[in-house]
Amino acid sequence: MLLVIGNKNYSSWSLRPWLAMKVLGIPFDEKRIHLYGPGSKEQILRYSPAGHVPILHDGETVVWDSLAILEYLAERRPQLWPSDPAQRAKARAVSAEMHSGFAALREHMSMNTRKRYPGKGRTSEVLANIARIDAIWAEAQGPFLFGPFTAADAMYAPVVLRFRTYEVAVRKQSYMDAMLALPAMREWIEAAEREPESIPSLDLYG
Amino acid sequence: MQLVIGNKNYSSWSMRPWVLMREAGLAFEEVQLKFGADAKPRGIERYPVAGKVPVLIIDGEPVWDTLAICETLAERFPEKHLWPADARARQVARSVCAEMHSGFQALRSGMPMNIRSRHPGKGLNADSRRDIDRVVALWSSCRERFGKAGPLLFGGFSIADAYYAPVVTRFQTYAVELPRAAQVYCDAVLGLGGVRAWMDDARRETEFVQDDEPYASGHR
Repeated sequence: MLLVIGNKNYSSWSLRPWLAMKVLGIPFDEKRIHLYGPGSKEQILRYSPAGHVPILHDGETVVWDSLAILEYLAERRPQLWPSDPAQRAKARAVSAEMHSGFAALREHMSMNTRKRYPGKGRTSEVLANIARIDAIWAEAQGPFLFGPFTAADAMYAPVVLRFRTYEVAVRKQSYMDAMLALPAMREWIEAAEREPESIPSLDLYG
Repeated sequence: MQLVIGNKNYSSWSMRPWVLMREAGLAFEEVQLKFGADAKPRGIERYPVAGKVPVLIIDGEPVWDTLAICETLAERFPEKHLWPADARARQVARSVCAEMHSGFQALRSGMPMNIRSRHPGKGLNADSRRDIDRVVALWSSCRERFGKAGPLLFGGFSIADAYYAPVVTRFQTYAVELPRAAQVYCDAVLGLGGVRAWMDDARRETEFVQDDEPYASGHR
């Protein structure tokens, strides 16, 4: 399998399937494309007509969009969702909510793994987004949202990195700690810190 | 099962699971919460999840967000084949739904769903044009690769058609000119019993929601 991703420092969508595959121990090749660089759009279009990362190639099958990739992986590795049907439905709901929502948080607290922007970006809409995420995380069964690591944790992983960057306090710090302690998360963070490219328009606060 | 929805004229997210369940012949009770002046569904606090419609109540538990509702229904009712049975088609169907679920911001904000109104030419700009071109390309690719057995994206009806049904109504509201194959697909969607029933209900609604009416004269 080949996973096409963007910059590890900035691409929150890319982190989701990457982390899930690492945690599940699924071997894959990684193709990293520097986003917003010269020719990067054309490079992405070579892998998917939708023109966005992440993209998964598995033989003849092309799957794009982070949530579709996670569902594709879950068909092969059912442990990616909780085994109880009601819990699984809830895990899908919080994942889909992350996938289509939290626009203010995404805009004003964009993922920037290696930076520290304490207190920045907290508009009233962002604070409402944070309160909703805090409520979802407060119900975490431990160590992860639904006990063991699931696709829902993959969906919220970029938020964990954002809250680290913007130093947002949550009630369930143990959830943030468990996520940040995952070897795969550490590997992603270290790679992001070593990336030479920067994207000035995404370095929101200097 | 209960499906909690918003206004049929405006709520594109609500339309998707409603059309899906109607077309699949899944019995459900409809609970409609009309949008208030703050554009929030009145009474949504009775369903203390994300504060948004739609919400599906299944086995007494709420499932929220359109895509999660569709996946949950597909899993609980495998005999209905809500996703295409062929594995490769299914992954493409999931991808195009997920793409709709998180993307097409310009189309959504410039051309909000408004079934009973006609605003030809409104909302068309470079960004929404790009979204429209992508939708047309995606429809054409699904139809060519997987749609041989019928008039819909994957031949027979699937979640993907429910997902794009609100886009079809937008193209009608804003009179978007489409290539012939795309128009033929739109006509097939507009002919689905579930889509017609939803749109008939929408035309009878009289509530006016300012946030969803950027082109109504005399209101802005």
